[in-house]
Amino acid sequence: MDAPFPLVLDAAQAAFVCGGVSISAASCRRGGLPNLARATGCRVGADRRTLNVLFASAAAAALLEDVRCSGRIAVTFSEPPTHRTVQFKGSDARILPPEPDDGALAAAYVDAFASALTQLGYSGEVIRAVLASEADELVAVSFTPSAGFSQTPGPNAGTALGAGR
Amino acid sequence: MRIRLDAIRDCLEGAIPGQIATADAEGVPNLAYLSQVQYVDAGHVALSYQFFNTTRRNILANPVARVALIDPVCAAHYRLSLQYLRTEEAGPLFEKMKAKLAGIASHTGMAGVFRLLGADIYRVLDIERVPGRTLPVPAARRNLIAALRASAETLCECADLDSLLAQTLNCLEMQFDIHHAMVLLLDARAGRLYTVASRGYPVSGVGAEIGLGDGIIGVAARERTPIRIGHFAAEYSYGRAVRDSLARNGLDAGLETEIPLPGLPDSRSQLAVPIRAGHQLLGVLYVESPLDLRFGYDDEDALVALAGGLGAAIQLLQHAPPEAPGSPAPAAPPGATPAGPPLRVRHYAENHSVFLGPDYLIKGVAGAILWVLLSDFVAHGRTAFSNRELRLDHRIRLPELSDNLEARLILLARRLIERQAPIHIEKTGRGCFELRVERPLELLELPPAD
Repeated sequence: MDAPFPLVLDAAQAAFVCGGVSISAASCRRGGLPNLARATGCRVGADRRTLNVLFASAAAAALLEDVRCSGRIAVTFSEPPTHRTVQFKGSDARILPPEPDDGALAAAYVDAFASALTQLGYSGEVIRAVLASEADELVAVSFTPSAGFSQTPGPNAGTALGAGR
Repeated sequence: MRIRLDAIRDCLEGAIPGQIATADAEGVPNLAYLSQVQYVDAGHVALSYQFFNTTRRNILANPVARVALIDPVCAAHYRLSLQYLRTEEAGPLFEKMKAKLAGIASHTGMAGVFRLLGADIYRVLDIERVPGRTLPVPAARRNLIAALRASAETLCECADLDSLLAQTLNCLEMQFDIHHAMVLLLDARAGRLYTVASRGYPVSGVGAEIGLGDGIIGVAARERTPIRIGHFAAEYSYGRAVRDSLARNGLDAGLETEIPLPGLPDSRSQLAVPIRAGHQLLGVLYVESPLDLRFGYDDEDALVALAGGLGAAIQLLQHAPPEAPGSPAPAAPPGATPAGPPLRVRHYAENHSVFLGPDYLIKGVAGAILWVLLSDFVAHGRTAFSNRELRLDHRIRLPELSDNLEARLILLARRLIERQAPIHIEKTGRGCFELRVERPLELLELPPAD
């Protein structure tokens, strides 16, 4: 169940979600089929209570429609070399126009993620193609996580991240 | 145009992990990574169920999901709408996924963490292409259908089992660019497979045995299903399979009667395909490679088709009429008694193991055959034999159905050559062969211990 108070990311968590990690999101309308899409970067609010996740609007159209209708979102961040994975969920998600620097942020994110994959021996070109977007199609989904979970594969997968931890 | 699941199977090889979105009954979404998406048929996929996690809880409460997959070469991005149907906790599909998962786990440093609890089967409701850029696709290494056709034509020409096996390995090499392969046949009575031909190993390993259920080959045979692993998987490797097998057959531990299975020490891709004739399992065709992800779904399909032709040909050759009676006897006259120091040949009746001097040669049906040949040679100076009489010989007691005598003779002849024995078996026509002995023999029969 979602915690009744917003979660505050610690500095390490904030750095993690803004790094070269795989970012994907899911949403769903009540009674509907869930939707999912890859994100192209993440910004953390100054109070570390808000996540702003960037999407290419064409590739994420169905997800964005669900977010618009339900306000629900789940975003998973996973670091390829370590499999360290966290998921944040919120129910107050809103779709906002991008900030002026978001285009540069998305480009830097794709570079960082592609470089992490290249270091593991995978082709960075494939993920660059998947995440390619036009500058004018970026949107931001902003939400305050009400729950967070560690999803690193293993016995502790699914453990809730406590508020403020 | 509707996208077909079989057209995007390359996305299911796991080179780029897939993702699954689910939701609970209230519509709270969840997103998780998938270690495995298995193609079942044109309308179904199976996902690995490894932990009782949120995805699992959601699917049981709200049995619909969306899965995202990416083609690892061209970067095409797909979304599949799925409906959960059921979970299988045993059987061919489960074993196929369990073996593949072992390779994935080991490749991703998750050995000991990933453990398959079930194969969750989903109906594919829809596949959509996610807008995005794609990369140019390099030309295919080869056309597998053309390779298959050329191989089928070659195998049709084979008039005996020996050449059929040799041509199968040739075709794998020349047509499929597969350089490490073996054919194992089933000894149904013993519940074991024995290697009858191999290619691409320093030692042929002909005669090496493996139990049903041991390693990738044994599991493929037991489950009658192809098993394919794209990375090294310790729990399916030969070393392990042979050790486990030895541990179970503790009785054999006293005698050195194991021929080591061939196999690449640094094998990264493995594919074991059952050879069948109708519903009957005849053996396993096994190929491997030092490269990761060398064999894909299309290679598996091609080798399943090849093994189908091979199985039918083996069956056909087994039932080929023997050479007409009255055809010229392959008669080398009983030769002069061979000279030199006598070779002591021991035969343990318990398991028909035969030792030449101190060295283990062979056991089982092939051992029994050799003992009969040598006994007749020593007692009567006989050198010409026919398959037909061996089939009827009460001393050998071949299994009645599918005795595979031809395969045992091939195995025996190869073992003799490989051990550089002063004994040779040479085919002299269809269904007949000659025994050649180059040293005096001293036969020693050891009855079963009570």
